[in-house]
Amino acid sequence: MKKNLSLVILVLLLAAVPFLVQGSYIVSLLLLMLVYVILTTGLNLVTGFCGQFSFAQGAFFGIGAYTAGIMSRDLHTGFWVHLPAGMIITGLCGLLLGIPALRLKGHFLAIVTIAFQTIVYLGLVQWTSFTGGQNGLPVEPVGDVSLFGAHLFTIDGLRANYWLILTATVVLVVIAERLVKSRLGREWVAVRDDEVLASAIGLNATRAKLTAFVASAAFAGAAGVLMAHYMGNIAPDDYTIWISCTIVAMMIIGGKGSFYGPILGVALLTLLPEMLGDWARYRMLFFGVLLVLAIALMPEGIAGRVRKLRATKEAQA
Amino acid sequence: MSTAPILEARGIHRRFGGVVAVKDVSLSVGVGEIVGLIGPNGSGKSTMVNLITGELEANGGSFLFGGQDVTALPPYKRARLGMARSFQMIRLFGSLSVEDNLLLAHHIRMQSSTLDTILGRAQAVQEEDAVRAKARELLQWFEMEQFAKRPATDLSIGQQRMVELARGLISMPKLFLLDEPAAGLSPPNVDRLVGIIRRMRDEFGMSILLVEHDMRVVRELCDQVVVLDSGVMIAQGHPEAVVNDPVVVEAYIGSGWKRRAKA
Amino acid sequence: MDLLLQYLANGIVNGSNYVLVAVGLTLVFGILGVVNFAHGEFYMLGAYTGLILVINYGLPIWAALAGVLVVAVILGLGAEGLLNKMLKERDATSSIIASFGLAVVLQNSALIGFGPSPMLMQTKYSTIGVEMGPVYLPLQQLLIPVAMVALISVLYLVLRYTWTGRSLRAMAQHAVVARMCGVRVQRVAVITFIVSALLAGIAGFLMSSVYMVYPIIGNMIVLKAFTVVILGGMGNVAGAAAAGLLLGIVESLTSAYLGNGLRDIVGFVIVIAVLLLRPQGLFGRTFQRS
Repeated sequence: MKKNLSLVILVLLLAAVPFLVQGSYIVSLLLLMLVYVILTTGLNLVTGFCGQFSFAQGAFFGIGAYTAGIMSRDLHTGFWVHLPAGMIITGLCGLLLGIPALRLKGHFLAIVTIAFQTIVYLGLVQWTSFTGGQNGLPVEPVGDVSLFGAHLFTIDGLRANYWLILTATVVLVVIAERLVKSRLGREWVAVRDDEVLASAIGLNATRAKLTAFVASAAFAGAAGVLMAHYMGNIAPDDYTIWISCTIVAMMIIGGKGSFYGPILGVALLTLLPEMLGDWARYRMLFFGVLLVLAIALMPEGIAGRVRKLRATKEAQA
Repeated sequence: MSTAPILEARGIHRRFGGVVAVKDVSLSVGVGEIVGLIGPNGSGKSTMVNLITGELEANGGSFLFGGQDVTALPPYKRARLGMARSFQMIRLFGSLSVEDNLLLAHHIRMQSSTLDTILGRAQAVQEEDAVRAKARELLQWFEMEQFAKRPATDLSIGQQRMVELARGLISMPKLFLLDEPAAGLSPPNVDRLVGIIRRMRDEFGMSILLVEHDMRVVRELCDQVVVLDSGVMIAQGHPEAVVNDPVVVEAYIGSGWKRRAKA
Repeated sequence: MDLLLQYLANGIVNGSNYVLVAVGLTLVFGILGVVNFAHGEFYMLGAYTGLILVINYGLPIWAALAGVLVVAVILGLGAEGLLNKMLKERDATSSIIASFGLAVVLQNSALIGFGPSPMLMQTKYSTIGVEMGPVYLPLQQLLIPVAMVALISVLYLVLRYTWTGRSLRAMAQHAVVARMCGVRVQRVAVITFIVSALLAGIAGFLMSSVYMVYPIIGNMIVLKAFTVVILGGMGNVAGAAAAGLLLGIVESLTSAYLGNGLRDIVGFVIVIAVLLLRPQGLFGRTFQRS
């Protein structure tokens, strides 16, 4: 109960930020952070909870964004079509990636996901007739929101997009929590911890892995559509292996396998570099060092370390 | 008992590269029967268990479970039909509590759908609460209810072995395969184990296939014993008869013993 | 036909580059079990070391090469310390993530230190070309297959006939037993990493006169290298050599006949197919998928 209350307060605070600060810097930073919360929470489902390593989250992010861009260009549809369409198409691609996962483990699975990520990136760059190549694609803002013909408001510009993305983030995080706490989420953990045992007690490991891949990809797809409509223009270089690596880092540093840990990781890795100020040039460098230190010294992440400390305290009591 | 056996293995063959691990083995477990599977190291006992549960695919032969041909079914489907097993090296979901370990084993018997659990519908929540209560009841039967919320890895080897048994029981299997359950247990725990296995058959009507090295356990529990040596079945029958069978003795100790004893 | 031979020649040049980069990786990945995504940075820093020493300091090629070797040894030592010594006991993907972090650090250091503008090694040999029948190759490009054959032959002999080489092969079979037989596993691991850095660094140095050098060239190279390692069978030096040349030729022909856009993709599609259908690679022995 206490946790739920503090989360509600946090969300309300976040919603109030545009009224509390001047200028656009902080709001746009928080907006970016929220998009990464969606991406990282999604990745945590397949990698943290189901134990299947994926370096392809950036690719799914891109597939979602380009679904919006291409449908916008060719079918003249808007955000409200793109969001479900993006999630479905990305989900199907997630299914595609899940199939090799059924037969490969550890290193090899990671390499297949990296190859997939690279193929998608190269496809976005090379298939110029379909994707516009390095020139990118324009995407209209979300625009007017009407209910039964009555115009409610217009989503255009930083603030409106920020609140839209905040709402989407909250909804998706709640969905993720429900998934993790459900029977499916427990089966994911079982498959992660011991696939042989999971099968021996009657659990369908194939179904578990595929659903995890689909869910995590769909999350990235949603993030892609939201970001596309906010940025107004998408290009392949926004969806590289380094984006995937960033998402993995946020999840690891926060603590994979914990639900809120990765969200903490996102906050840390989006906000900390900003505090570097003049040293901002060194941001990526700092980031790489942090990742190496984290995996070497604290692989369980912040959430994991906190959990360990609490367990030791309990044992001593 | 004139009912059909719960498990029938016919002419099972399994090869690993050039090595034949199991050669033309046939055995059966009757309903409510405790069958022992014994043999010297490397005789193919564990391989046989893995073939029965489906972790390994047989190169030849067939398995009938409850009269149904399960030879082509993957392990999870055989488990759903009512096969439970314990492992030679204890396997539990280490990151989960004892209660959660048991809950997971009951997933296949739940009535509400997975979607219901995602949506958090009352019916699903109630069912899960009921299963957790059942799990705690089962732990009481094992005199371990105080460990329900503890992480499974916190427990001692003997206790973990009991959790493995509880996990098998909670899904109400028709056949329980036990792969060297007494391994690594201290003598008092072995006694406890024997008592529990006997109660599992007597109170729950379970059929059991027991792979064991500990002869005392085999003699106390088994209605029937099958002996393997180098993948071949060399003897079958009542424990006392089998244990004294010279063929069996020779397999365990080796013929050199006899020659040297004569000299 | 003439064009085909030219494409093949180009493919062999690129393929030889892949071989040099991949052979070290197959030893590190195949035998030590370490996935090193910073391996591409050995290549990139080898190129930059050579470029800086020649262009900024005016050193002769031989001195620059010596500099490359020194830098490679340092990088190999550092990478081994982090990825192998520290992370050996962990799960499979710890080394991947750590090596990604290392790659980010090295790439960004290069970006900050050398700037983003591409550089190319121009020497007095740059304009010299060699004609072999219908095929024309610049001398600097011809050097690459020659160097590859020389270095890989030496490596092959070392692996077969020296104690270090035999130790490495023993470790590939069973590290614990190898240690019990007196193999100094840690020392062999360090040597392996250093060799992998040396080969990749030399490849980078040689290729700096062929293609432009910029801080992120390591990305694509490391992925190609993993493709070659998997195609050739992990830990299989001869396999990596064959697979590297094969990849170079396939890419060259794909680019010529199917379009340049598919050139880079074809390798990745192949590696996914191989992992699914024949995970031991084209030339490896069967093994149990874990």
